[in-house]
Amino acid sequence: MSARRSKAGQTGLWIAVGVIILFVLAPIYWMIATGFKTTAGVAAQPPQLFPNPISFENYTSAFTSYSFGTYIMNSLIVSIATTVLVLAFGTLAGYALGRMPIKGKLPILVALLMISVFPAIALIAPLYLLMREVNWLNSYQALIVPYTALNLPFAIWILRNYFMGVPKEMEETSRIDGASPLRTVWSVVLPMALPGLFTAGIFAFTACWTEFLMALSFNSADAFRTIPVGIALFGTPHVTPYGIIFAAATVAVVPIAILVLVFRKSVVSGLTSGAVKG
Amino acid sequence: MKASRRPLLTAGLALAAATALALTGCSGGSSSAQNGSSKPSGNATKGSISFWAGPSMVGGQDMNKILITEFQKENPGITVKYIPAPQDTDTNRATLTTQISGGGGPDVYLGDVVWPAQFASHQLALPISQYLPKSYWDTFANGLVAGATYNGKVYAAPFFEDQGFLYYRTDILKEDNLTVPTTWEQLVSDAKIAQSKKQVQYGYVFQGANYEGATCDFMEFLTDAGGKVLSSDGKKSALDSPAAVKALTFEQSLVKQGIAPAAVSTYQETQSMNAFQDGDSLFLRNWDYAYASANGQGSKVAGKVGVAPLPTFQGESGSGYSNIGGWDLYVNPHSKNVAADLTFVKFMTGDTAQKIIATQFSEIPTNQAVRTSADVKASNAVLAIVPQTQLVARPSNSPQYPEVSQAIYQAVNGVLAGSQSPSDAIKSASSQINTAVSNGGL
Amino acid sequence: MVTAGTVPRRGRASRTSSHDARGALPPRRNAYQQSMARLGWGFSAPALVVIAAVTIFPIVFSVVMSFSNVNVLGSGFSIDGFTLSNYTTVFQASVWQYALAFTVGYTVVTVTLEIVIGTLIALVLERLEAFRGWMMAILLIPWSLITVISATLWGYIYDPTYGIADRIFGALGMGSPVILGTPTSAIIAMIVADVWKTTPFVTIIVLAGLVMLPRDVYEAAEVDGASGWKTFWTVTLPLLRPTIALAVLFRILQAFGVFDLPFVLTQGGPRNATTSLAILGYRVMFTDLKFGPGAAVATTTAVLVVLGCLLFLRVFKSQVTETGDES
Repeated sequence: MSARRSKAGQTGLWIAVGVIILFVLAPIYWMIATGFKTTAGVAAQPPQLFPNPISFENYTSAFTSYSFGTYIMNSLIVSIATTVLVLAFGTLAGYALGRMPIKGKLPILVALLMISVFPAIALIAPLYLLMREVNWLNSYQALIVPYTALNLPFAIWILRNYFMGVPKEMEETSRIDGASPLRTVWSVVLPMALPGLFTAGIFAFTACWTEFLMALSFNSADAFRTIPVGIALFGTPHVTPYGIIFAAATVAVVPIAILVLVFRKSVVSGLTSGAVKG
Repeated sequence: MKASRRPLLTAGLALAAATALALTGCSGGSSSAQNGSSKPSGNATKGSISFWAGPSMVGGQDMNKILITEFQKENPGITVKYIPAPQDTDTNRATLTTQISGGGGPDVYLGDVVWPAQFASHQLALPISQYLPKSYWDTFANGLVAGATYNGKVYAAPFFEDQGFLYYRTDILKEDNLTVPTTWEQLVSDAKIAQSKKQVQYGYVFQGANYEGATCDFMEFLTDAGGKVLSSDGKKSALDSPAAVKALTFEQSLVKQGIAPAAVSTYQETQSMNAFQDGDSLFLRNWDYAYASANGQGSKVAGKVGVAPLPTFQGESGSGYSNIGGWDLYVNPHSKNVAADLTFVKFMTGDTAQKIIATQFSEIPTNQAVRTSADVKASNAVLAIVPQTQLVARPSNSPQYPEVSQAIYQAVNGVLAGSQSPSDAIKSASSQINTAVSNGGL
Repeated sequence: MVTAGTVPRRGRASRTSSHDARGALPPRRNAYQQSMARLGWGFSAPALVVIAAVTIFPIVFSVVMSFSNVNVLGSGFSIDGFTLSNYTTVFQASVWQYALAFTVGYTVVTVTLEIVIGTLIALVLERLEAFRGWMMAILLIPWSLITVISATLWGYIYDPTYGIADRIFGALGMGSPVILGTPTSAIIAMIVADVWKTTPFVTIIVLAGLVMLPRDVYEAAEVDGASGWKTFWTVTLPLLRPTIALAVLFRILQAFGVFDLPFVLTQGGPRNATTSLAILGYRVMFTDLKFGPGAAVATTTAVLVVLGCLLFLRVFKSQVTETGDES
């Protein structure tokens, strides 16, 4: 596609890319740099554009004074499990609500929307009662199950939208070849909708990764706490320790970046276009 | 397989509905606090309890962990499980409320000094005065137990106290031949001198943001001016007074004259500390921790900082008032081992623990004997001047204190940000307080 | 009964041609349709069961609380009597009225900005080839930051003493404005932080939609010699509308619940200037421990957003709720 673009267009494109990167990364750079500063460096005037000296004290203290390693592990377990469940259930439901002849789809879709509208703060107290009743406090499922439920509506909506973009001919062909609907979803629809799947997955993952109030309320045992809760333990009621908070936040960003880089092919290669053309 | 799906769905929904019903049924019920008939008194020797407190780090060491280790040395039969709590006070309260009202929560928790009335009226804390004798309550410094009392019962044991202090730049006062101000008027004139000589950009930094800290600072000005927030029975507002207008007008004048930066309306402790540590201000109002902080790593004024009681208005006697802060130990009404809880509470307020928090973590002890002991006073310049200060408590004996405080800090913040005049702000805050204490409004 | 697939789906004319004839097939199709419908329920069941099990009780509980005299106690919630007083209290409170206006205005401004900027960025990224994956990774960093952290980061940037923003303003000769100290500047500062963090959400949704657009349509446009802009307005945008509408819908939901940003940056101030409905609800429930009025704030918020979304769906019906069976 780029071959036909004019030279001026190309330059414009790269300028645009530069501006976007600057807009997105400047605050991030500031966060990462601050994480590597000493207490004096954080307070330096004028601000140090580059940490001088580069210090790892914030990183050491996140991992030694607090159980930050445990929190990362827990966040990974909870977020990955939720993402898998959301994608599995969301794909099935999204396909059914997009492509299968169910009556009353619209009410279901609107009901899903209403559920995602209800302010999370109002759900915390009753959900705590529920969790306590089923004896799930201080466990992974205390987070995985509510996160799955609360992230599914969005996933269903978005997957449904992308599935509806998959040409019907492909499904017809698969059906005529004698494949079951489940098989059709798995081997025809999903590969075509990979960018959509990736999108739904990354949103589910980040939502779990960043959720705070439920993680704090349902899992009070340190062994089951997640990263956002861990970071809320830093400092004192009177002091915001920017250095250690930003060091921890930098660590917390790494898994997401890896995840995106690993799966980026699903977005980059434009599988859909290839398939349609072929 | 296709056929079996539908019953599955129905069964699932039925299950969900049944759970929901079961819960609605039980949520109104109560789980009794301590079902034993004998009254526990804090002499337990075995059991397992959990302790909820925000980590308090000095040099990578958590005060809570150190104290628990000490406790277990003395009480090998009792296991204390430490649960680090979130630092933000409102988040902390929200979590505790959710857990305790939901029938769970930690056995012993560290809570803000302004929570007793609210927590008592919502039965979120156990009235521990019924278990511990008067002789125990007499070990605390004057006035602290009163702050934890609601309707004649004590709901918390004061763990460490905190209060406002005046921090000043020793180098500048010396250079300008000035003494440490004892009146607000003197503070202003000192500040003007240092500012005119360009020694500092600002004279005084304090807390004026839209949060609890602004209430604390205002309480000091208000009490110095002779005003108060609630009537003595706590049933209505006493704020609408010339004294309150004087106090708020003075706070406003600090900004208007450029003594305090315009940004003080966005200052919490962190920001005011930043400005002072950066060498931008001659004076600072802050809590006990500020002394170590101002003389520590990252401070440009380390070694040049002195501490004194806050000033008062001209014509008043004694030093100015310091607002009481600090944290108390509460016992969860759901705790299954109140005896062990009380043993732990007694340890934490006893000699060993109180000495550790004072000497190693520069907290102000609540235990009167420890507080006044020579080695503790010698360990820290702040602790040495505590006896010279006059204390004032926020009107937290009202269960609606959070709303009373909102009315106050919003008035202060509005005035400092320039959107209201002091007299209008006081009037509207006063009527907001009246609504709040009559349990109305939002 | 009109079933899916019998109505040509609007907006996708280019791809519906081959199965337009299906509606004319013999009645045998109905048995198949029925078994497919059953299977459709089977497919939806796991998701719907989990959602129902987790959300029905809390939502019902909150709605019940909003209509009752509630006292939160250590022994549980004491809930008795039907009352409308929670709602009358809420509606009469000037702080609620302001919070509502603020939240609506904030939502409109941020969502508009984010949709426009986010779509533009997606269009730029769509033209990149190899670099796109890296750009995605970069864009996702702000989105995946813990909200409280990004608010803290902006708080540090706006800090009156240490903040880099103050330096930048100084260098530009704009003096030293108190960024979070006046209502207008505090709101703008919040919007900047919000746009920074949530624009990637829009970009990623739109980009996935763009990547999945059929190439042949573009090629046809190219053969016709249409310019880049013309192709965008006449081909890309119409095909993208369902996706953009979806992004708008979910951004409205998120923006309406804005909490962490004012909670950390401004505490809802100066005075009440940045008090959103979520901040108000949280304060009433968890600071003041008034769960009745708090639940009323939450329920009202939910109802208002649902109404807003339904209105939106009505306007964009053909795009978002294209189920094929609503006509």
